[in-house]
Amino acid sequence: MTTPGDLPAVGETLLTLRGVSKSYGTKQAARDVCLSIPRGAIYGFLGPNGAGKTTTIRCIMNIILPDSGEILLAGRPLARELRDRIGYLPEERGLYRKMKCVEQLAYLAQLKGVPRKEALVRADAWLERLGLGENRDKKVDTLSKGMQQKIQFAATFICKPHLVILDEVFSGLDPLNIELLRGLIMEEKSRGTTILFSTHMLAEAEKVCDAICLIEGGEVILDGALGDVRKQFTLKSVKVALAGDLDPPPDLPGVIARKKTEGAWQLTLDEGADPQALLAPLAAAGRVELFAANRPSLSEIFLAAVARHRAEVAA
Amino acid sequence: MSKVLTIVRKEYLERVRSKSFVIGTLLGPALMSMFIVLPVLLSETGGDEQRTVGVVDLSGEIVGPMRAALVDRGDDNVTLQHVECPDGGDVACVEELKRRIIDGTIHSGIMLPADFMSMSAPRATFYNKSVSSMVLRDEVLQPALDRVLREGRFTRAAVPESLYTYLTTRTDWTSRTVSAEGGDTEQNEAVSFVMAFVLIMIIYIMVIMYGSHTLTAVIEEKSSRMAEVMLASVSSGHLMLGKVLGIGMAGLTQFGIWAMAFFVLSQRGVSVGDFTLDVAFMTPIILISFVMFFLLGFFLYATLYAGVGALCNSVQDSQQFHTPLAMGMVIPMMLLSVILRSPDSTLAVVLSLVPLFSPVLMFMRVCVETPPVWQIGLSWLLMATSIWFAAKAAGKLFRLGILMHGASPTWASMIRMLRS
Repeated sequence: MTTPGDLPAVGETLLTLRGVSKSYGTKQAARDVCLSIPRGAIYGFLGPNGAGKTTTIRCIMNIILPDSGEILLAGRPLARELRDRIGYLPEERGLYRKMKCVEQLAYLAQLKGVPRKEALVRADAWLERLGLGENRDKKVDTLSKGMQQKIQFAATFICKPHLVILDEVFSGLDPLNIELLRGLIMEEKSRGTTILFSTHMLAEAEKVCDAICLIEGGEVILDGALGDVRKQFTLKSVKVALAGDLDPPPDLPGVIARKKTEGAWQLTLDEGADPQALLAPLAAAGRVELFAANRPSLSEIFLAAVARHRAEVAA
Repeated sequence: MSKVLTIVRKEYLERVRSKSFVIGTLLGPALMSMFIVLPVLLSETGGDEQRTVGVVDLSGEIVGPMRAALVDRGDDNVTLQHVECPDGGDVACVEELKRRIIDGTIHSGIMLPADFMSMSAPRATFYNKSVSSMVLRDEVLQPALDRVLREGRFTRAAVPESLYTYLTTRTDWTSRTVSAEGGDTEQNEAVSFVMAFVLIMIIYIMVIMYGSHTLTAVIEEKSSRMAEVMLASVSSGHLMLGKVLGIGMAGLTQFGIWAMAFFVLSQRGVSVGDFTLDVAFMTPIILISFVMFFLLGFFLYATLYAGVGALCNSVQDSQQFHTPLAMGMVIPMMLLSVILRSPDSTLAVVLSLVPLFSPVLMFMRVCVETPPVWQIGLSWLLMATSIWFAAKAAGKLFRLGILMHGASPTWASMIRMLRS
C-alpha cells in the first residue's frame, strides 16, 4: 500500500493515461486516450452518452483490459494494491439489500484492504457524518433512496482513496441530494482527494471542476485547466459598443469578421490575436461603453470543440 | 487472499444466520429418514391389512392344512373362508364365490377341483377383482398351497416324516465380503444397501441444493447492481472463489451437525424398521470416498452453477440452464440400478468416470464392490481438472457478463463469450 509520501505534490500529475485504446468488435469505444490528472483537482471527464467515458474508467479500474496503452498512478503501473486506493462509484450501482448499513460499509472497506476493526470504526464514523447514525443496524432495503445514495457515496470514500472516480454521480438525484453530495465532494477535495468526475451534464461539471477533458467518439478532443480551456475559446470573439452607436474603426488588429447584434458589435478574432490590442484603437475612435471577452459556457465550448474536431478530421 | 476470506466470511455468515438454514438443518434428517422409514412402514401396514380369501374346496382336505401352512409361514393376515356350495354343483360354487367377492365379504377366491391332490398337473383358479391381487397369489397363497400339496402327497406315498424333512431341506447361505487385502468379513446386504443409499442421497441433495445456492449468490451481485463495485475491489476469480467456499462451508456445517446427530443416535442403537444404522459400514475407504466425492461434487457443481449465474441477470434467466445442469445429477440416480447389477462392467466404469456422474456412480461402486484404486483416483483427478476449468470459465463469464445488461443469455452467447 502506498503512503501519502509516495504521492506527487498537489498540482503534479497523479494519474496518467497513455494511448489507452479499447474496441468491442468493430466499434472503437476508446481511441488513444491520453490524460494527466493533477493531484488535488476535481477533474471533469465530460462527453455525451456513449462517448467512451465508462469504457475508459473501466480500463482504469481493470474491470476490462485495454487493447493497448498504459495507466500510471503516481508514475507507477496500476497494480492491484494501488487500485485499493482508488474509490469507484459506478453509474450502475447498488447495495446488498439484506445487509445492515454498518456491515455493508465495513465489508466494502475490507475489500479495499482495510482491516476489519478499522473498517467498523470508519463505517460508524461515516454513518455519523452523514446523519445516519441511528440507522447503523438497519437493513439497507429499509432505507430511503436518498439514504442509500449517501451510503454508496460513503462506501466509495471509506478506503481513504488517493483518487475517486465518480461516474454520473448526480443522475437520478433530486436537487437537495445533489447539493448534499456536492458539499461532500468539495469537502473531500479540501482534504486533498483527487476526483475524476465523469458526467454528460456539463452545467454540473462547470460548478465543481478545476480541470476538464472532453471526449467524443472515444477520443479526447480537448483538455486542460478549466480557465485555460475557457481562454482558448474566449479569444475567439469580443463584444464591443462605442458611445453614440459609433462603428468600430475598420482596421482593427486581428479582427477577421464583424457583425452587429443587439446594439453591440461582435468582433471575431484571428487565432492567437490579443484582444488587449483592440483597446487603444477603440478608445481613440470614441468612448468605449462595452468591451467584453465572451465567457462561453461549457456546453458552448463543447459544441465548438466538437465542431472544430470534426472540421480537423474532415480536412 | 484476505479479501477472499472477507467474502467467505460474509457468504458463510449470511447463510448460517438465515432462517432457511436453521429450518433446513432441523428438517433435513426428518425428511431423509422419511425416505427410508416411510417405505418400510408402508410395506408393513400394507402387509398387515386383514384379507379374507374364499376357498371352494371340493375335495374337502385342503382348507384345514392350508390354514395351518399360512400360520406357519407367518402370513397370519390372510384368513381362509371355506365357501360351502348349497347344492354341491361346480357352477353354483363359482357363482357363490363371485357373489361374495362383489359384495365384499371376501377379497378374492380360490376354486380347487375335487381331485386336486391326485391330478398329475394340479389346477387351481384364482378369482379376483384387480391385477394387484397377483402379489397375494404369488407370495402368500401359492407357497402355502404348494406346501399343502407336497405334504399331502408325501403322506399319501407314506414317506416317513424324517425322510420328508431330509428331502425338503434348503441351503443356508452366509455371505462374506472379500477385501483387496485378502481378508473377509460378514456381509449384511440390507444394511449395506440402505447405508449406500443414504450416503448417496446426502451427496445428491447437498450438491444440488448448495450448488444451486451459488447460482443465486452470483446473480445477487448483478441484481443488487454490486458487480461493478465488487470488481473494482477484487478480481472476478477471487469473488467466485470466495462465494463458492463460503457457501460450501455453510453446507459442510449443516452436514457436520447431521453427522454428529447421526453418530449420537447410532451410539444409542436407534434402528429404522428392520435395519440398525450401522457405523461399522463406514470402512476407511468408504469414509474417505464419501468426503472426497462430497467435496469434489459440490465444488464441481457449484462452479458450474456460478458460471451460469455469472451470465444471467435474474433467476428467471437462469431457468433454461438450470435443468441441464441438474440432469448431471439426476441421470446417474436413474442409472443406479443398472450400475448396481454389474458394477465392474465397461459401461459402469466409463459412466462412473464422467466427472458430472462420478459423485453418485463412482461412489456407488465404492460402496458395493471397491473398484480398482486407479479408477477412484482417476475420477478424482478428472473432477478436480473439471473444477479448475469451470472456475476459469466462471470468472471469465462474470467479467464479461457484467457488461451485458438487459439481453437474456443463451447457450450460443455463452459459448461466444468463452471463446473470446
